[in-house]
Amino acid sequence: MNTEILRKEFESRMAQLPSQGKDHEFRRKAMDAFYSAGFPSRQWETWKYTDLKPIASKGFQLIPKESTDSAHETASKLLATCDLEAEPSRLIFLDGHHVPALSSEITTTGLRLSMLGHPGLKNRSAFSKHSSKNFKEHPLAALNAAFSTQGVRIQVAEKTNIDTVIHLVFLDSNLENQTSQPRILIDLKAESKITIVQHFLGAGSNSGWTNSVTEISQARSSDLTLYQLQEHGTEHFHTGLLYSSLTSDASIKLGFIDLGGRLTRNDVQIDLDGAGAKTELFGVFLAADGQHIDNHTRIDHRAPETKSIETFRGIIGDRGRGVFNGKVVVHPDAQKVDAQQSNDNLLLSEKAEIDTKPELEIYADEVKCSHGATVGDLDAEQLFYMKSRGIKESAARGILIFAFANEILKLIGLPKLRERAILGVADHLPSHDRLGVEL
Amino acid sequence: MLQIENLHVCVEDQPILNGLSLEINAGQVHAIMGPNGSGKSTLAQVLAGRDDYKVTQGSITFYGKNLLEMQPEERAHLGLFLAFQYPTEIPGVNNAYLLKAALNAQRAARNEQEVDAFEFMNLIKNKMEMMQIPKTFLNRSVNEGFSGGEKKRNEILQMLTLEPSLAILDETDSGLDVDALRIVADGVNNLRSPERSLILVTHYERLLELVVPDFVHVLAGGRIVKSGDRDLARYLDEHGYDWVQTEVSAQ
Repeated sequence: MNTEILRKEFESRMAQLPSQGKDHEFRRKAMDAFYSAGFPSRQWETWKYTDLKPIASKGFQLIPKESTDSAHETASKLLATCDLEAEPSRLIFLDGHHVPALSSEITTTGLRLSMLGHPGLKNRSAFSKHSSKNFKEHPLAALNAAFSTQGVRIQVAEKTNIDTVIHLVFLDSNLENQTSQPRILIDLKAESKITIVQHFLGAGSNSGWTNSVTEISQARSSDLTLYQLQEHGTEHFHTGLLYSSLTSDASIKLGFIDLGGRLTRNDVQIDLDGAGAKTELFGVFLAADGQHIDNHTRIDHRAPETKSIETFRGIIGDRGRGVFNGKVVVHPDAQKVDAQQSNDNLLLSEKAEIDTKPELEIYADEVKCSHGATVGDLDAEQLFYMKSRGIKESAARGILIFAFANEILKLIGLPKLRERAILGVADHLPSHDRLGVEL
Repeated sequence: MLQIENLHVCVEDQPILNGLSLEINAGQVHAIMGPNGSGKSTLAQVLAGRDDYKVTQGSITFYGKNLLEMQPEERAHLGLFLAFQYPTEIPGVNNAYLLKAALNAQRAARNEQEVDAFEFMNLIKNKMEMMQIPKTFLNRSVNEGFSGGEKKRNEILQMLTLEPSLAILDETDSGLDVDALRIVADGVNNLRSPERSLILVTHYERLLELVVPDFVHVLAGGRIVKSGDRDLARYLDEHGYDWVQTEVSAQ
């Protein structure tokens, strides 16, 4: 992807967009940020283990083509596999476009959903006050800002508890070189509450690229639960930034389940800006043969009595590669902070690789912090115990791997999503470790 | 049913069993007693197929087949069961799930119809009552947070469900109070039949008052140095093992 092509694509994108004043300016600013930074390279400390060359060198089309009928057919098939019929509140995006026909009408008092890229709607700006914050550290977020026209702004009014779970489903119908750059802006007013699911789902083995940005702004005592389930097709690339800023006593629970894709990089930045703000962040990533999954998280405790609990578990099979980097920074005035972090990994073969690095930076003196990382094989005692009961080696391995993941998956508060994640883990286990018994 | 001949076993290059021979026929209950470190638990683990125990000499034949060439799960499929001295905790694996998976794995290996969740619950209901295991245990992780007695009762529940033809109880009685010991003994006696055999590995005689053995063997220095009936166990209980060791050293 050379700069000339980028420029051309960007200008034609701009020409397509209705002039939106500020937004236009902002997109130019974002594009300039990307021009000057370029794709992050492995020379960057934060990108040491993840090489974006396969994306940078490929001719991805940054302006997604209109979806075809066959794409819609694929989409319907994919959706049919999602047993979410009891959860009618879903917004469907296909190959980079919002598909109203497949999406639900959601009308709930206190909840405002504005589709981005649909001219004529109020509050359609694709940007928030946080949007430019991360351009330098995250050039891909700048690229998303420059090009993205799909996504949604979700606003919850003060003192409103939204019972409906909002499912955002991003489908990839397996178009070669297609790019999807969703933007999800979430804005929770004081004392509001909502649960949101971001589900990335693809089929087939053509290579596409999803580059998503989720920006979250939480006012006092608001409460957000957000799960991200990534089930891309085998050759898909996924990069994403989730940014969240929390004011006093706000809380966010975040769960990341990464199962599919060729290469996945999740960047998570949580700013605990107000006193008493807290986050619970967990994840399961399963990198089977040839998959690369990288979770980079950073939590900044900028206020006193903020709390973070972070637990990620990785399962790496065959020639899979996992990366975990969890940085926790406790700023000078952030006293009485409680920060716990752990990353445990199972390596299922000698060729599997994991690079895990917990990082703690503490500039306050009255804090309670812990972190730890483990890497290991399955427990021989447990395997022997199960085999002595008549369970075959492959099944016993499957059960243990599955139990390892399930300790985290059980934190998912939505039964149907949890079930899907559980089945997804079982499906993605290396074949010689596949469960030989029913779930 | 089971023939052990001249068995020599090393653990981390230390010889533990030194020429042990034993024959067990269908329907028999054999008690294996002996002081700490005499090799009792090693024998139990070797029979179950633990692979870090190295057999350097001798043979074990189970139903005419070479047991030493079999994987632990194949031994289980043939009807061998070990109740562990220290049952392994498996966080995240549901107790009922493991038991059902084990039962169905064994049934599948024997070309028998697998049981569904409903049949399984019916099957274990009485057995749970007999072992005084409350229903809530089914949904807990295997052995995780169980007390010593609960772990042992859970082992016997597994045994009753899997209905092995040869069960080896490795110090199942140790650490049990009188009531728990009786519950365990009732479970074991319930399994006794003319087709089934038992090996009771124990340090104490008290289990043998409740599950009466046909034979009692004393293990010392990695060999069976004395065999007799239940009276031998009573004598050991009264006089301890010192006299056995003195006899062995004298030889």
